[in-house]
Formats: sequence, C-alpha cells, structure tokens
Amino acid sequence: MTDEEVLSYVKASAVALGLTLDEARQHSVAVHLARTAGLAAQLGAFSLRVEDEPAEIYCPLPFPTTSAAREQR
Amino acid sequence: MKTATLNGIAVVRAIATGELSAVEVLQVAIDRIEVTNARVNAFTGRSFSRARAEAAAVDAKRARGETLPTLAGLPYAVKNLYDIAGEVTLAGSTINRSNPPAGEDAVLVQRLQTAGAVLVGSLNMDEYAYGFTTENTHYGPCRNPHDGTRIAGGSSGGSGAAVAAGQVPLALGSDTNGSIRVPASLCGVWGLKPTFGRLSRRGTYPFVHSLDHLGPLADSVEMLALAYDAMQGSDALDPGCHALQVQAVSPGLHSGVQGLRIGVLGGYFSDHATPEARAAVASAAAALGATDAVEWPDAALARAAAFIVGASEGGTLHLNDLRTRLSEFEPLSVDRFIAGALQPGAWYVQAQRFRRTYRDRVNALFKDWDLLLAPATPVSAPKIGTEWLDINGTQMPCRPTVGLLTQPISFAGCPVAVAPMWPDGTGGMPIGIQIIAAPWREDLAFRAAALLDRAGVAGVRPVNFLKT
Repeated sequence: MTDEEVLSYVKASAVALGLTLDEARQHSVAVHLARTAGLAAQLGAFSLRVEDEPAEIYCPLPFPTTSAAREQR
Repeated sequence: MKTATLNGIAVVRAIATGELSAVEVLQVAIDRIEVTNARVNAFTGRSFSRARAEAAAVDAKRARGETLPTLAGLPYAVKNLYDIAGEVTLAGSTINRSNPPAGEDAVLVQRLQTAGAVLVGSLNMDEYAYGFTTENTHYGPCRNPHDGTRIAGGSSGGSGAAVAAGQVPLALGSDTNGSIRVPASLCGVWGLKPTFGRLSRRGTYPFVHSLDHLGPLADSVEMLALAYDAMQGSDALDPGCHALQVQAVSPGLHSGVQGLRIGVLGGYFSDHATPEARAAVASAAAALGATDAVEWPDAALARAAAFIVGASEGGTLHLNDLRTRLSEFEPLSVDRFIAGALQPGAWYVQAQRFRRTYRDRVNALFKDWDLLLAPATPVSAPKIGTEWLDINGTQMPCRPTVGLLTQPISFAGCPVAVAPMWPDGTGGMPIGIQIIAAPWREDLAFRAAALLDRAGVAGVRPVNFLKT
C-alpha cells in the first residue's frame, strides 16, 4: 500500500469502527499501520495449507477423563 | 542514601529459624521503599496496612508453634495490573481509575499469600502493558536503579526496578511479548516467563489474551524458583491455563547441566544484537559448555505475527474507550492501539494460522536440543526518551526494538529464564540472556540458571544510588 492508500484505509476503517480521529491523528496512526502492513506482507508470503488451522484457545468443554467418560455411560 | 536491603532467601531462612520476625523484615522493606522510591519511581501503590497484618499473622503462626510455609514473611510487590482486593486495578492507566475496586486478589496473589509472602504494594508499568520502556506519562517514567537517566525496560518496569533497587526481593510481572524478560535484562535481575498456560492469569488485567503470561522477577535463582513453585497449580476457570499439576523446580535446581544439549541461537538473534549482548551470551555459553550455533525457525516471521496478534487483540480490547475517552490514553501508545484496532481481519487470521505451524517447527527443534541461549535485549538500557537505536549500523525505532529478541520465543510459548549478565562495554549496565527450553521444561532452564549463578557468571549486583 502507498502512504495515501494507508491513510485512506485509516479514514474509512475508523468510520466503520466509530472512531473519531482528527487529521493529525489519522496521519500518526497511518504511520504505525504502514509499518504493520510491511510485517503483514512478509507474513502473507508464508505458504499455508488449507488445513492449517489457527492456534487455539477456545475449547467447548475439557475432554473427559477416563473416569468421567465412564460416569457418562 | 543508606538503607538495608533484603536478600530474599536469607529473609525466609531467618524468619523460619526465628532469627528475625516478619514484622521486622517488613519494616526494613518499607524503609527502603520510602527512601529510594523517589529515585526509581517503581511503586505506584503501597499496601503497608495490609502488609503489616500479613506479617503479624506470620509471626503469630510462628508463636503458636505452627510450621511456616515456604515464603513466610517475604515482602513482595506486583505489577499494577494484578487485582488486589479493595484496590482499583490501574494497569498503568488513568482510565481504569473509574473502575470499581477489585473484589478479591488475583489467583497468584492468593497463592503467594498462602505461601506466607507479604504484599507491600503495586508497581509502575506501561499503560495496558503496551510498551517495552515504562515511560508512563501518567505516573512518570520508571527509572533504572543502576542509572536513573535510563529506562528500566517494560512493560513490567516497576517490577524489574523494585527488585534491582533492593526494595523487595520478589516482584510479579506479566509478559506478552517480552515484558518480564526486557526489564529483567535491563535492570539486571533474574526473571521467568513460564510456558504459556503454566500459571493462572485470573484476576489480572489482560493485554493480549492469546499471548499473555505471568511470572516472577527475583534477586536470586533460588528465590525465583521458590516463588514459581508456590504459584503453580491448575485453574479450570482460566481458559488459557493448561497446566494440570505442579511440577516443582526447586528440588532439582542444583542438578547441573551434565548431559543436556545446549546451543546458541544464531541468525536473527545474533544479527539483531550488539557486540555487548553477544558477549553476554558467549560468557554464559562458555560456562555451560555450549558451542554449537542453532537456527531458530522463522524468527522474523514469528515476530511479525506476534506484533499483528498483539496489536489487533490489544486495540480491539480497548475499542470502546478509544471511541469515547481517546484523550485519556497514554500518548506514547495510543496510536498503536488505534492502528491495531484497524488491522484487517485477514492479517490477524494469517498470523494465528502461522502460529500453529510455527509451534510444530519450534517443538521439532527441541528434539535435538534441551536448552538454547540468546540475548534478552539487543542493547543495555537506553536513555529515557530515546527514539532510535543503532543496531549494528541499522537505525531502528527504540520502543518496539527493545523486544525484538523476546517476541519470537513467547509467540511459541516456550519457557525462558533470564540470567542477569554484566558484559564489558556497557558502562556497568546489565544485559540479560534468555535460557530457553521446550514447553513445560522450566526445570531445565532453572538448572542452567543455577549453574551460571554458582559459577559467578550471572547474578544481581547491588545498586550504587550515589552514582545516579
């Protein structure tokens, strides 16, 4: 993304998220986002297979232990 | 500036034998804090009334002839994102002042209380833990005890500084991308970032749920190990706590490293370190008999992914306040919070998918190695207000760069002990090294740390406040 494109993205996405940013803030945020865009581009070039799932935290319920599974029967 | 400092292990032994009372020890800590805090600005809250009650309870227990727990009478403090019952959890912010006081202590504070430790207060940090420097605009910068013109590191800067200044022998911090390891390195104290999911995070103010760890900083390896063991245990109510049982490290602390395969991380970790940081690692490697250079997989990409995950989750967590209370945020990090909230979802998902494959490559590395060594920070403590660092001829922005060498490791979730080293060429300032182990093998990192301590290669040095 060019600097102008990053700035345009900041303005549009801030509106989408309900953030009110003055012009100076838009520019300073764009500097940070441009730096992150560079990191994202490196990462985007890394090849992942369709079956590579995200790292997990969510768990619907702890897996039943042997004794708990026996009690369920 | 003459006040006594406390050696943590000596304190618990003296209280256990009755040589000192917990109340006497507490008064020494309070005196030290009152006299030195203006120089370091580590403490943002004091809980001396509570501490006096806790210390008195320890002494009463002893008077009744009861066996004292392992940390009985030990004064300690916590980063101000830990809940303390009856106090507002600031997390380095002013926005949180409008929150109600915590109803109960954080789980780790509860566990230390059970172990007999005495809580004396809460400590300075970067706002909402987003920073590596603790240049907190609201509460003032935390100053490095070894040179008050320099940063203490962050975001657990108060925790590193309080231990280094001899205010408390033990402090608790949090580490998302390096926030225990960076201040331990820059302040010259021992630190532990445990395996992701080892210690319960319940009752602390989060920064990045996917990456947050809690852990101790201490004045000796033995102190670090005792505190870590006291805080272990499962917690079904913390979805990020994966440990199911205690795996104590203290009993095997002095087992040595014979038979362990120890390597030195090259590539990314060498390229982004100054000669002084590399010299610190070389000293430790020589003492541990480590000679082989090892390549950590995809370190730069892991750092990029950690940055993206952190910014996205951190920014989104505060989105409502960014909408309504923007002017109250820390000016040094608010733009990064906003930029994080605005990141496209595709960046975040790619980073989380990368993380899972990255974990497999990192774990595969530990089939060949037991421990790996790397600098904890690229440099010794920069001056407060530094904007740019020169790393081997490349100009890099100071605030994110200080954590360049810690981020890839925590993104994998590996445990890391930080050993304080004192290489030449830093003007007497420390640089820590990371002793990195496979997930759940904190015991190995502790054994190497203990050997470095015994060999006199690493250790805490007293502060000369007259110099600052």
